Amino acid sequence: MGHDTAEWVFVGIVIAILVYVGVDSWVVQKEVEEIPADAEVIKVTGQQWFWSFEHADGTKEISTLHLKKGHAYNFEIYSKDVMHSFNIPDWVVFEDAVPGHVNHAWFAPDQTGEFPIQCREYCGLLHYNMRGSLVVEDTP
Amino acid sequence: MKRIIAVSIIALIALALVPQVHFAHAQEKSAKQYINLRAEVWNEFFRMTTAAFTVGAVVSGTMIWLVWRFRESHPKNKAPTKWEKLDDPTTGTYEKEGH
Repeated sequence: MGHDTAEWVFVGIVIAILVYVGVDSWVVQKEVEEIPADAEVIKVTGQQWFWSFEHADGTKEISTLHLKKGHAYNFEIYSKDVMHSFNIPDWVVFEDAVPGHVNHAWFAPDQTGEFPIQCREYCGLLHYNMRGSLVVEDTP
Repeated sequence: MKRIIAVSIIALIALALVPQVHFAHAQEKSAKQYINLRAEVWNEFFRMTTAAFTVGAVVSGTMIWLVWRFRESHPKNKAPTKWEKLDDPTTGTYEKEGH
């Protein structure tokens, strides 16, 4: 064994692992961020200190959002005043609501139930109480 | 040593192939099925954790091997190097050794 074999093994394995980490993360990120073409758009608006929702057919809801199991939803996230962050922890939906800018997040619920919605960016006095509910119902 | 290298390479190949199998199955989904974001994110987390621990094992393993191999009492270190040939090291000087 040459005096530098260990160094080359060390360098080779570490570079190989780092390349794997980069490629795999890139592939997963692309997959996770790809919004399905048939996803229904839901406009989500954050303002001090509640969430409001508008469905594609114009139906509006405040604080409680009703969705159907087995459908994909594309959230268009707006803010009317300050920075908020739209978060549904149980479904890994987490995106900032920025005044003057539209952010996107998507998900497709595959089980029914009631799940908490919360603001995850400190947005003022009643930030702690800027909560809502997501109700996922069975598709009729 | 060759066995360690072979095992490391096999482990790396397995590490690279597992997600490919996963994605091959993912492509079989019908138009109405969507990926499970929670599963994707957690799977990625566990794969990255595996990679991180592998890097840690390689780095610390190499350092442990270096310390073990180049210790003073290692049989291969019995013969003095060309910088250690003075009969009485306390009488030597760096200037003399350098030439």
